[in-house]
Amino acid sequence: MADYDPQIDAANPTPGDVEIQNYTINFGPQHPAAHGVLRLVTELDGEIIERIDPHVGLLHRGTEKLIEYKTYAQALPYMDRLDYCSPLCMEHSYVLAVEKLLDIEVPLRAQYLRVFFAELTRICNHMLNLGSHVMDVGAMTPNLWMFEIREDCMGFFERMSGARMHHNYLRPGGVHQDVPLKLLTDIAEWLDTRLPRLFGDAISLVAENRIFKQRNVDIAIVSREDAVRWGFSGPMIRGAGIPWDIRKAQPYDAYDRVEFDVPVGTRGDCYDRFMVRVEEVWQSARIMKQCLAQMPEGPIASDDRKVVPPKRAEMKQSMEALIHHFKLYTEGYHVPAGEVYVATESPKGEFGIYMVSDGSNKPYRVKIRPTAFSHLQAMDFMSKGHMLADITAILGAMDIVFGECDR
Amino acid sequence: MGVELTTPPHGFGAGNAAGVPVQAPDQGFFNDLNGELTDKGFLVTSTEDLFQWARTGSLWWMTFGLACCAVEMIHVNMPRYDMERFGAAPRASPRQSDVMIVAGTLCNKMAPALRRVYDQMSEPKYVISMGSCANGGGYYHYSYSVVRGCDRVVPVDIYVPGCPPTAEALLYGVMQLQRKIRRSGSIER
Amino acid sequence: MRAPAPRYATNDGIIDVATAALGDMLLDAQDKVGEVSLTVDRDRLVIAMEALRDTPGLKYEMLAEIAGVDYPERPERFDVVYHLLSMTRNHRIRVRVTTDEERPVPSVTGIWYNAGWLEREVYDMYGVLFTGNADLRRILTDYGFRGHPLRKDFPLTGYVEMRYSEEAKRVVYEPVKLAQDFRTFDFMSPWEGAEYVLPGDEKAAQPKPAAGQAPGAQSPVTADQVTRAHDSEKKAEPNAPEVKTTEHTGQTGAGKPHPGNLSHEKPVDPDVPSPDAKASSAENK
Repeated sequence: MADYDPQIDAANPTPGDVEIQNYTINFGPQHPAAHGVLRLVTELDGEIIERIDPHVGLLHRGTEKLIEYKTYAQALPYMDRLDYCSPLCMEHSYVLAVEKLLDIEVPLRAQYLRVFFAELTRICNHMLNLGSHVMDVGAMTPNLWMFEIREDCMGFFERMSGARMHHNYLRPGGVHQDVPLKLLTDIAEWLDTRLPRLFGDAISLVAENRIFKQRNVDIAIVSREDAVRWGFSGPMIRGAGIPWDIRKAQPYDAYDRVEFDVPVGTRGDCYDRFMVRVEEVWQSARIMKQCLAQMPEGPIASDDRKVVPPKRAEMKQSMEALIHHFKLYTEGYHVPAGEVYVATESPKGEFGIYMVSDGSNKPYRVKIRPTAFSHLQAMDFMSKGHMLADITAILGAMDIVFGECDR
Repeated sequence: MGVELTTPPHGFGAGNAAGVPVQAPDQGFFNDLNGELTDKGFLVTSTEDLFQWARTGSLWWMTFGLACCAVEMIHVNMPRYDMERFGAAPRASPRQSDVMIVAGTLCNKMAPALRRVYDQMSEPKYVISMGSCANGGGYYHYSYSVVRGCDRVVPVDIYVPGCPPTAEALLYGVMQLQRKIRRSGSIER
Repeated sequence: MRAPAPRYATNDGIIDVATAALGDMLLDAQDKVGEVSLTVDRDRLVIAMEALRDTPGLKYEMLAEIAGVDYPERPERFDVVYHLLSMTRNHRIRVRVTTDEERPVPSVTGIWYNAGWLEREVYDMYGVLFTGNADLRRILTDYGFRGHPLRKDFPLTGYVEMRYSEEAKRVVYEPVKLAQDFRTFDFMSPWEGAEYVLPGDEKAAQPKPAAGQAPGAQSPVTADQVTRAHDSEKKAEPNAPEVKTTEHTGQTGAGKPHPGNLSHEKPVDPDVPSPDAKASSAENK
């Protein structure tokens, strides 16, 4: 102790009880509750958190630099690998940005398919987050059940695109392939039977659970003003009580054709964020059912031959189609010069793509606006004064995925 | 090669000196084993077989989830695939784990931590490299911040290809590791 | 707008309100691709941002994003682009300042707390300095990283790569060595004015050597093409090929009598118990 003062010591017979120096612990970068590769340098006073300095970038893969060297079509799969818990929603922002620069129309069926599978992705993402949040604060069983839902979702995604996780399904101008009718009917049946049973059961174990509430209620309360100043979005800002949902406020694709409610929290604590996500799952299921009811027949991609490659059957017949296919898969399409910022409501919040095009076939600059960046930045402010054990609850309620945070 | 105490008459270690694993057990095998146990009250096998059996039967893996592959790594532990059937259980502490599954892109900033965790693991230790990023950089091979394959940092026993490998593929990789341990089994690794 | 991108409130009149609110701080205003971009004076950025946040009719309360863009050919090569969101008016706007490597940009951390990390990121990726940001450390790249990776003159693969050194017993950096170079293609059509020479075309541009070359002048012929006098002093060789004999199996092409695939020579597959497992295991030892 540098500031040891014998006079104070004489006045205080039990100096050890008050003169506890703050100490610093290093949480991560390899910790099962860190949800990936987060390093938190935490300054503690006893067990009270004084200061947290999150170190990110441990999964910095240079995605933005790599995209500048790829054509627009080649860069799309990088989006899947950003937020690997909700790949389709990442693609969604990207294709909408490219479409906005190209100014092409998307057929209605493709818009519905995008919305439909984006909502399935939202369910899938929330299953992972809710399950791991519950597990971080000490319960095991709900996580096992929710992962069963995730397995179902992944089975559906595999039938949709051929891949369990990294779908690469959306394309500027539409989607890659139409889905079989049986898949849609299977998902409809799943929405009616399996999802409510499994998810309802799992949530019934924790929603009113005394231990779960003790770990989450009144932890990391964020006021509305703070949520705005810290740039929160998604369930974080809705948990703080602001009914802001980009799907509702700035509808894209077919979101203005479906009805859904935006849940908001009342106290702005971890429990509210958890329950907002729970309700979002039910709303997603509602949107998906409406999509199934409303989805028209028709083409699944724009008929702009300079952007959307022809179908394989057509290529067998037409020389023009073959040439177009070759050009689109080697050179790619040229996107008019300009810049756009397109943000969509990913399961974690506002996921934006700022795209600068110089008129060539490769993006000049793609800046990804990760949701986790502003949320994780507020970690210090949110956990100040809480106990060390609350870190896991706060992190779990933030829903951070490092693929997207670090890029 | 391991110390061979005696050649077992039949059953568990029959014809097993070169590390030939146990066949699918039939009823006769169990009857023999049971008979021997009731007759003598103990079983005889080679220490090598015993060690291999112990090593393959409880491969506790270090949860080293880095990126996308970590999701599939979680899935393989969840009820659908249930890797604990094979005795492979997740373990968050490097000191007590036997195998490290490097699941995801290894970046320059993370590499020292990976190596430190590997150094902390106790022998015998194995590494499964999961996914194309860990195998050789994959989609991010030419990036300025990615280690081009985790075998530049730690020695790798099994490579599981895929982006990401499905849960089945990882499960198969773990089984291949068990097979490898049986083949090259010795007391010292 | 035909594309199904997010639809928010109309841009009509935004530029007028912004011009009135910002005055001469506003250098340029555009409404392109359905989005409003303002370029403001760098030194008065904070005042301009406060005006954008507080003026009724603008009310951009949230900072969504700060992005850097690099245009190396410009004198002030960097753009720092702020994306603002007004939730009350449901509108987005883009604010831009330009700068270079040395001239710092005023920090907006006093207005929006989340600017802290976003500015750190721009600093990390581009080397743009921000005055007033108390914590301007690198954020995404490795501890001790050199250079600013998203600048256009920074190579994609960087300068260093990492491996574990058995001698030093730790991970070390060393200069990057690629087994296969990054393959990049220029898809500009030659008819549209590509600025490179196609393989084989490089000779066309070279000046042709004069017909009768002066003695001692630089020759276009390289050293290994020159025929020298002693080249002809070769040993005489018979014209006939080698005499064909069949003395050993290598010459007949019949292969070895025992190529090593007899049953007892095969490597033991431990998972397939074979009848002669005993014998083979004895050999393996």
